[in-house]
Amino acid sequence: MDAELSAKLEGLFSKKLNSAMRMYLDTCARCGLCVESCHVYASMPEARYSAVGRAEVVRKIFKRYFKLQGKFAPWLGEVLEFSDGTMDKLEAAAFSCTGCRRCVVHCPFGIDTQQMMGIAKALLIGADREPKILSMLADMSIAKGEMLDETRADFAQALRNLEPEVLALWPSTPAGAPAVPYEAKGARVLYVALSGSHSIVSAAAIMNAAGERWSLSSFEAVNFGAFLGDAGKMKKMAQRIVDEAVRLGVEEVAIVECGTAYRVMRHMIGKTPFKVVAFVELIARYIKDGRIRLDPQVTAGKLTYHDPCQIARNGGIYEAPRAVIRALSADFVELEPTMQENWCCGGGGGLVAMGEEDFRMKSSKVKAEQLRASGATVVTTACENCHSQLADLNNHYALGMGVEFLSHLAAKALVKP
Amino acid sequence: MESEALSAASAVVSGATSAAGAVEAVTGATVVAGATPLVAQTGVALVLEKIYWFLMVPGVYLSVLAFLAFSAVVIVRALRAPPPPYQLAIYPAPRNALLAALRDAFGMPQIRKKAPIFWFFLVAYHMGFALLILGHLDLFPAIDIVSAQSRHMVGSGVVGLLVTVPTFYFIGRRFKSPVREISTPGDYILLLLLLFTFLFGDLMSWGNSWTAKGFVMTKQDFARYFDSLARFTFANPRDFLRGSHYHFAVIHVLLAELVLVVLPFTKVVHAFFSVPINLLRRRVWTRN
Repeated sequence: MDAELSAKLEGLFSKKLNSAMRMYLDTCARCGLCVESCHVYASMPEARYSAVGRAEVVRKIFKRYFKLQGKFAPWLGEVLEFSDGTMDKLEAAAFSCTGCRRCVVHCPFGIDTQQMMGIAKALLIGADREPKILSMLADMSIAKGEMLDETRADFAQALRNLEPEVLALWPSTPAGAPAVPYEAKGARVLYVALSGSHSIVSAAAIMNAAGERWSLSSFEAVNFGAFLGDAGKMKKMAQRIVDEAVRLGVEEVAIVECGTAYRVMRHMIGKTPFKVVAFVELIARYIKDGRIRLDPQVTAGKLTYHDPCQIARNGGIYEAPRAVIRALSADFVELEPTMQENWCCGGGGGLVAMGEEDFRMKSSKVKAEQLRASGATVVTTACENCHSQLADLNNHYALGMGVEFLSHLAAKALVKP
Repeated sequence: MESEALSAASAVVSGATSAAGAVEAVTGATVVAGATPLVAQTGVALVLEKIYWFLMVPGVYLSVLAFLAFSAVVIVRALRAPPPPYQLAIYPAPRNALLAALRDAFGMPQIRKKAPIFWFFLVAYHMGFALLILGHLDLFPAIDIVSAQSRHMVGSGVVGLLVTVPTFYFIGRRFKSPVREISTPGDYILLLLLLFTFLFGDLMSWGNSWTAKGFVMTKQDFARYFDSLARFTFANPRDFLRGSHYHFAVIHVLLAELVLVVLPFTKVVHAFFSVPINLLRRRVWTRN
């Protein structure tokens, strides 16, 4: 690696050194408590797949360029210089971490390996070594947003085409509004979906059943900038939703079942003039307020719920999905371990978007075992990534389970007038 | 020669004891005063004595200064760095983030749950370390935790064991998988440095009582040495610490100085950062 690139990477690293990062980098005692926290290590026990193993790659670079030890006694900390080999290690570390932050729960100090992988990702971008599929997806998503005016009419038509599917789940709409309202002035809720119709139809039926004044966002919720670790792209993708919500004057922005999208909008972009909720919270509220009723006879089989890491452990939503499940079925079993301790599905951090099926299946063996041990016949979740990964695990490990979005189960169980 | 010295020392002790009418000995310096005649030192002995003096007096000031300065740099760097761009909380969030962070830092519930034996040794070690600091502070005349007349330091040697035994455990643990795979040479060296510092400390607090005539250097001797340091007299510690264990005292001080100097560059900075880092995962906030 040439000196110019090395200096550029050193500069990029220094820009990432906020107060939290400095403490994370200086403090780790390498006690090993986090080692078995990672689902990848639990499935493939190699030190490089442990939280500390990944963080050490970043820490060793830090020691080399930002600590006296790196200059006078580099052997003490086995420091790493920028090189192709080091970039390989960074890539393996950053993109084998799903950012589930289960290790943060178990670390005696609370060191956040996901944050440290943010440095790894920034360095990879700086060296043009980031996964091209993710940067392409991020760029495409941004470009799609920028071309909105040209595609608005087509988008509106596509939404009209979805109306029969929505009306099949709930036959009426509030005050004669379209089944999928779009650009609706006076809407109370802006619903931010994904690009597939599966993320719109059930949600639309539920909100229509609740008599909600809502509007569908022009933008997709998924934030490839966050997966990529590109703070600029992440903000750009989030800001356009903020601008739209402000323009429409909504009170709430409800984020589709997508963990990262929720965490970005709720916890990573700062204060907003509207409330940000996960769609599952909205369903739970409608049930609690008596605005919708669910028929517990509709959902067959023993249910279990997979807490998406970005919604639960990193987002604080534990009770709402359970309230929805209680309304759906009495036959429910918690996964073990559950909630804060739940195993990551293994698909986060952009892994599902990147493909990586072989790695995802091997590294999530512990998740498959957890699902099988539950004895449930249906696993439900509230995250697109988790759903895709759980479906893949279901096939790969022949679990014989149904894999369902919570919103889909709720929409199917709506008690019609 | 040695037996003569011991007899002389014994005579001094018995004289002192009978004069005071009590069992409590006077200082070790007094004990050995009659046994170790001060002779003019030349050659290697003189050079060694100068090195000893440097390590025992200016070395202490320099290492404490280095520790304070380097620690301040590490802390100020972390404090002056920009804050994280968004909150890093783990849920469920506690009602009181600070209390939760303090509980994390001092109770180490994560370790207690996952590795109770490790937790036991960590608690013993950290309590021992706190008492160790207290015991050394107690050597200053202004602080009076254990009676100034006592021969023993705080804990009478038990405090040393509280840090030494866990350190052996920590070293052993580091040789076992998976901790071995994530350890760096610096981890082992730091533990060995601490271990030998503790062992030489133990040697003074325990070994002293194993000699034929009991304590050679007592708390009162160390108190005189610390008093001299506190008053910047730059006196030769030989004047207060004349026993044969003086060499061990010098090695103990040298190792402690090394610990102080390197400490701000090691993971031991968790002593400063443990609470603020834990606060990061406990506190929910939103950036304006």
